[in-house]
Amino acid sequence: MTEEPRPVAAAPAAAAAPAQAAEPAPGEAAPLLDQVFDTDSLYALRAAVAAHASAAGLSAVRTGDLVIAAHELAANAVRHGAGHGRLRLWAADGALHCEVTDDGPPAAVPAGDPPGGAAQVPLWDSNHGHGLWLVRQVADQAGGHQGPAGTTATATFRL
Amino acid sequence: MAGGASAQITELTVSDHACLTFGEDEEVFDLTAAFVRDGLSAGLKVVWLSDSGPQQVAAELARRGVLAEPALASGQLAAATCEDCLLSGQTFRADEAIGWLSGQVAACRRDGFPGLRVAVDMSWALRPVTGIEQLPEFEEGVAAMLAGATASVLCQYDRDRFDPVTLASVAAFHTRSVATATYHADAVLRICRQYTPPGIRLAGELDYQAEEPLALALAEAIRLDGDITVNMNPLTFIDASSTRMIVKAARTLAAARKVVLRCPPRIAAQFAQFGAADYPGIKLVIVDD
Repeated sequence: MTEEPRPVAAAPAAAAAPAQAAEPAPGEAAPLLDQVFDTDSLYALRAAVAAHASAAGLSAVRTGDLVIAAHELAANAVRHGAGHGRLRLWAADGALHCEVTDDGPPAAVPAGDPPGGAAQVPLWDSNHGHGLWLVRQVADQAGGHQGPAGTTATATFRL
Repeated sequence: MAGGASAQITELTVSDHACLTFGEDEEVFDLTAAFVRDGLSAGLKVVWLSDSGPQQVAAELARRGVLAEPALASGQLAAATCEDCLLSGQTFRADEAIGWLSGQVAACRRDGFPGLRVAVDMSWALRPVTGIEQLPEFEEGVAAMLAGATASVLCQYDRDRFDPVTLASVAAFHTRSVATATYHADAVLRICRQYTPPGIRLAGELDYQAEEPLALALAEAIRLDGDITVNMNPLTFIDASSTRMIVKAARTLAAARKVVLRCPPRIAAQFAQFGAADYPGIKLVIVDD
């Protein structure tokens, strides 16, 4: 499990702005999945992510990891962001990339790792933080950008 | 008493005529196992009528931590099919069925048991049986026979397969109605009490949206005596927030008692990530099937 830099930081570049249109994901012609979600459709979103990840050749165990990562990123957008968002999943460079964008105001996300390092169970008493912490535990790479226009969070799983 | 006062399965006493309604097999086995377990530990004779033979009954009890073999061997526990006891062939007669039950009460007294518990799976009444219109008469007769007797009968009705009119007509003859305490149930998720071993059972997909019923179920489980089991065997997904809530509840309890988290491998791994394996009082049991 690769430790990424702080998952949420000020948007460093224009590339970090949340996708507004359905343009192709970076490095790929068409995403495997491009689905909007809100609080009532997280179950359907998980089912779709599982089906597409499995069809793309991700192992059963890693598919389970991707589903929890996708859920936590989406739940974060629902609970602490805009209340809805968009998930895209695409294959590129031997990996599945999952990206969740929401156009809500920046949420107060616990930055960085919990005291004691990333390998330790987080101590802050916030479900918010636990979800993103879990994403970084299970994904090969995880990252994100937050800007005035919203939040983009990604998780990558090697195929 | 229309339907009888609702009661937990563990609250049934002598001469109760209880009407158990259930929605899935897991529930009826769980509730019946509690009825059998409590009966055996009170020294009562216990008879379990179902579609299952003694081997399957013993297996279902063993799966829930109730050791049935010695009781089956000694005759304290008997398992038989309804066809062998309540019917003759495909014909049902209320007076004959009540006669069989009276015989059991008498035999139990003769054998020196202080009382009798009988669990009856009523699904035979869904099959093409002659005389089925005598079902309410049978239930009324059982109620009359049990008044003053040192016996209790647990009639088990599948609430999805019996029609509401039949259920309502038989319910009136029972002193108690029994069902699994359920905190949440929809197409995706079910949160309910588990009786053998005591705790809660989570089935389906669990996320933060079920925070309230999960918190309530955990709070009630914590008030039970002894060790607590959180049975997540039928759970296919659990999010970080719910995992965290269960670990926190288990940690508050694990100082004094044991908390058993039963789960499939991927959910066990997630609990381990949240530190569940690091507390001496928490036992992570991986169910691999």
